[in-house]
Amino acid sequence: MLDADVEVDRREFTLAVALRVAPGERLALFGPSGAGKTTVLEVIAGLVPPRRGHVLLDGRVLTRTSAPRRAVPPWQRRVGLLRQDPGLFPHLSVRQNLEYGAGPRPDRARTERLAADLGLAGLLAARPAGLSGGQAHRVALGRLLLARCAALLLDEPYTGLDPGLRRVLTALVRSLAADRDIPVVLVAHELAEAQAFADRLAVLDRGRLVQDGTADAVVRRPASRRVAELVGYLGFVPYPAGGRGAVAGVHPERVLPGAHEERGLVLSGQVRASHPAGAGWEAGLAVGPDVVWCRLPEAPGAEATVTVLDPPCFGADGVLLPRATQVSA
Amino acid sequence: MSWAVRPAPEPGQASGAALAPALRSASSVLSLAGAAVIWVALLGPVIALFFHVTPGTVSGALSAPGALTPLVVSLEAGGITLAVLVCLGTPLAWMMARGRLPVPRLWEAGVLACLLLPPLVVGLLLIFMVGPLTPIGQLLGHVNLSATNTFFALVVAEVYESAPYYVLGAQAAFAAVDPRMEQQAELLGDRPSRAARRVTLPLAAPGLAMALTVAWARAMGAFGAVLIIAYHPYGLPLQIWTTLQETGLASALPFALVLLVVALPLPVAAYLWSARARCRRRG
Repeated sequence: MLDADVEVDRREFTLAVALRVAPGERLALFGPSGAGKTTVLEVIAGLVPPRRGHVLLDGRVLTRTSAPRRAVPPWQRRVGLLRQDPGLFPHLSVRQNLEYGAGPRPDRARTERLAADLGLAGLLAARPAGLSGGQAHRVALGRLLLARCAALLLDEPYTGLDPGLRRVLTALVRSLAADRDIPVVLVAHELAEAQAFADRLAVLDRGRLVQDGTADAVVRRPASRRVAELVGYLGFVPYPAGGRGAVAGVHPERVLPGAHEERGLVLSGQVRASHPAGAGWEAGLAVGPDVVWCRLPEAPGAEATVTVLDPPCFGADGVLLPRATQVSA
Repeated sequence: MSWAVRPAPEPGQASGAALAPALRSASSVLSLAGAAVIWVALLGPVIALFFHVTPGTVSGALSAPGALTPLVVSLEAGGITLAVLVCLGTPLAWMMARGRLPVPRLWEAGVLACLLLPPLVVGLLLIFMVGPLTPIGQLLGHVNLSATNTFFALVVAEVYESAPYYVLGAQAAFAAVDPRMEQQAELLGDRPSRAARRVTLPLAAPGLAMALTVAWARAMGAFGAVLIIAYHPYGLPLQIWTTLQETGLASALPFALVLLVVALPLPVAAYLWSARARCRRRG
């Protein structure tokens, strides 16, 4: 079990985060750039000292600011950190990189088995400079696994790789981490990546954890309008039934053409603009003074009626309204 | 694919197009020739030396009684100087590269000042610092050492003349190693000293080797400060100077050749080795 409850002073705000990750559990720390996600990982890894708090891993105290104070140095924590740059040692071969943290007499057969699992079997004698981006990331992952890390921290490791390779590597980390039954924390600023990897999503904004739950719950029932914006709700339309100032969130991917009152909120308006989005089209629908973006193949000028599926509604204070006052599904 | 017939170029265009490659090749020939002239001019003195020295004159000069003593003195003093630089200069360079020192610019300015001072001035100032009448000189006297006209003084002078070259070169070599490499090694279980041995030093090695050999060449050729505080025992540069003054150019030349033979191969070998190491890492 990884248990961290820390506060770190940053220039713009104080980061205050409490999270618990069970063995074998995968938590995605999701939030915009500059929210403090990487700092959380660095505190757990022992690279940044917290102002207050504690970090426990499998019952071992790694950091404690209250008496008796403790700050286990990074080399004794057994916490693996994987960043966007694989950080392979360029003067060592792939085998030497893999076995770097495996102790003075590494088990060669084990290295070869892992290399085969990672698709690196023929590359053990190669130098990092001769590897592709995906191969280098596999070596970096294998190096952490051979070092017998008790927790794995992934800091947007596959950002910048092509989507297919990213999917393969994410699935690989998922299965390898599950086999080893260790807690894993992934930092992500793309929701799809976080959803593909994690069992649980923790949303971080300006140093605060604003929601923690399953990916589906966070996306369908964001705790606040701000969380809704972070997970991709692009439009908010007035929802008088929720009280004065209440709004319903519209996610472009949770909209059906036509009126289906039993499934959500029905909106009608004129299409103001449209553009290609992914494999389809996205249209901006004028609903009163607001423009609501949804996945529709309509051209500008057309009148359209859509149903927003089970939208979350927020009060004037931006907080999610209780289910009873939500639009009926 | 287009099957359209390309129109024939206008006559004027054709000659212009033909002229451009010709001009480009002429200018590349000219730049190559210019570079060769500069290279030969820089190496001119060395080439001239080989034209004026025959194997007979070298063996004659070196077989004279005591002729090899300056070479031995230079090699010994140079070796000790390198050891001192490695032991004291390497940690300083690492701390400067990693910003571990307060007011980092001040430390850099100190090393640069040592580099920029003319060697003769360094020699004069060393007299004021370690001369027999100074507190340091008197302290050295208690352990039967003197920093004027002794082998120890020669080492002191060589250290002062070569240290900035080593420290600044080593600082650049350490700065070129990404600190995240050291961080990654620590996260994989290495304490900092072990990470330095397994990651930092091997990665900085080509740059350190270059810095060390440049310092070696400076130490072997140290003359200005040596002339002031370590006139005796003679190393090779002073042997050349005194031979030149006493018996003329012809008898000084073989010693110059010996100095070159001793001082140059190490930097050249280090350069080749570090270029190869960098090439392997880049793949």
